Amino acid sequence: MRFGPLALALLMTAFVPLAQAQNAGLATDEQILLRQVNTDKKALYATNLGLTEEESAKFWPLYDEYEAKVKPLQDRLLANINSFAEKYDTLSDAEAAAILKEKMAIEKEREALKQKYTAKIAKELPPKKALRYAQLETRIQNMLARDIYGIIPLAR
Amino acid sequence: MKQILIAFAALAAFGAAEVSLAQSTNAKDDMELLVSQIQADKRAVVLSAMQLTDAEVAAFTPVYDKYQADMKKQFESAVEMLNKFAANYGSMTDDAAKKMLKEWFALVDDENDLVQSTAKRMGKVLPPTKVVRFVQIENKLNTVMRLPAVRAIPLAE
Repeated sequence: MRFGPLALALLMTAFVPLAQAQNAGLATDEQILLRQVNTDKKALYATNLGLTEEESAKFWPLYDEYEAKVKPLQDRLLANINSFAEKYDTLSDAEAAAILKEKMAIEKEREALKQKYTAKIAKELPPKKALRYAQLETRIQNMLARDIYGIIPLAR
Repeated sequence: MKQILIAFAALAAFGAAEVSLAQSTNAKDDMELLVSQIQADKRAVVLSAMQLTDAEVAAFTPVYDKYQADMKKQFESAVEMLNKFAANYGSMTDDAAKKMLKEWFALVDDENDLVQSTAKRMGKVLPPTKVVRFVQIENKLNTVMRLPAVRAIPLAE
């Protein structure tokens, strides 16, 4: 069983119009899809944060730095999902424990990173805009998590 | 806005279950009733989805019930925070926004810690595959139930 690419495809369709998704080669090129998601996410922030030019100059470098640090965690998450898929039918107790440990470690690191960078953003922007940023990031994370969790079958 | 946010907070913590509330004029009583009903419904859904043996049910339910009780306390803190957000909305000072971020992140950390410690406790009484299944069920329920609430809470202005 393999549902990693499907998870990523769902993740992507939250942001990418279907025609673009088809052009990108939906199930085959995960890196292109992830880049597309990140590009669309950037547009979403640009639209919703209402930054001045001065604020933009401070925000985007931090945003890019944050996204660059999130990327390895996304890769680890996908690898963990694929590992679960590959072992799904014969999952041992030891494998289940390892997959759960990795999942929780990734989530903890991701949350720590979000909080660290929101604090950095709050030092450079008005705190209300940092709060707005954190709200948007949480909305996006929740939406993606719902789609990903929705297609991963329960362990047996 | 305050009562609206209380309702959103209830959804955020426990989901948008269909419940019929008593004819109470007190928003706090309504919320208590709503939370109790949703927790009971969620418990039934989780127990059904877990597909446990009788022996496993006996081991699982005390850990799960403690988890739900702790979640309820965290939910009450979330309601308090959202009420502050509602009270400050439109005229929020920088200090209030900073404080809100700090409180929010502390709540998220507490919730993540609670899920992790609960998974550890379950690992002592259930096979790891069942613990994975529990975490998956919680993740699915929480994300599906919270999304409407997360969307409904207005962005800071």
